[in-house]
Amino acid sequence: MPRSVHITAPIEPLETRIKQLRIPKARQKQLRAMMDESRARMAREEQARSEERIVPEEKLQNASAAD
Amino acid sequence: MPLPPTDPNAVFLNIPYDEEFQRLYLAYIVGLHELGLKPRIASGIPGGERRLDRVIALVQSCRYSIHDLSRVELSPVPPATPRFNMPLELGITITWAKLHPKRHTWFLWESMPMRLQKSMSDLDGTDPYIHSGTVEGVLSELRNAFVRDGAPPIQRMMRSYRLVESNVERILAEAGSRNVYSASVFRELCFVTLDAASSAGDEVQP
Repeated sequence: MPRSVHITAPIEPLETRIKQLRIPKARQKQLRAMMDESRARMAREEQARSEERIVPEEKLQNASAAD
Repeated sequence: MPLPPTDPNAVFLNIPYDEEFQRLYLAYIVGLHELGLKPRIASGIPGGERRLDRVIALVQSCRYSIHDLSRVELSPVPPATPRFNMPLELGITITWAKLHPKRHTWFLWESMPMRLQKSMSDLDGTDPYIHSGTVEGVLSELRNAFVRDGAPPIQRMMRSYRLVESNVERILAEAGSRNVYSASVFRELCFVTLDAASSAGDEVQP
């Protein structure tokens, strides 16, 4: 078994970690916008996938109700 | 001479800097950030120092290190040559950890079980984490190696990975680079990873 460590050091606040990256504010804004777009696209794709799953289930239920 | 300060959350990544490794490199960045840790790579530090000096300084400043020895094949570009950088950096790290065991802990990673016993038999008795060359393998083994109370589930980590991965090409294009390991691209990948982690829910709490 490989060894493992239990980490107890506190996690630095997000703002501190972002500051350490030294990315200009304007670029941060662009990157955040890019991520927002991706999140929206991913949410749409997940929604479409879940609808695709629901439709066959509904068809199945309707078919068994008709029987 | 006083010892340099050590960041208790920093993890030095000793990995192959090549295109085939890109997905696993991203997985390390995402997984470590999700666990509240901070990945560090040698090329991520700007400055004109000699590479070896940068590596030594990095090892000394990081509380942990990951040495991924999965790339043992000869490079396809002639002349066919094995990669010795990673074993060299591992040797430097082992020496530092032997001298200062409370300041540094190192981990070995491989993609195949039992191969390390053949490629580096001096390390017999040190079991590596096996990621099987997959993103999910890296993420789940990171959770096993770095145990943190409240660590996010693997599904959340995978979701963050997909979000970050979907932006790599755009980040590279806007940087005018094809190199995901360059200092500026590495910083931006860390930034979008932190953004993904913060949007996925509260970060892990110690």
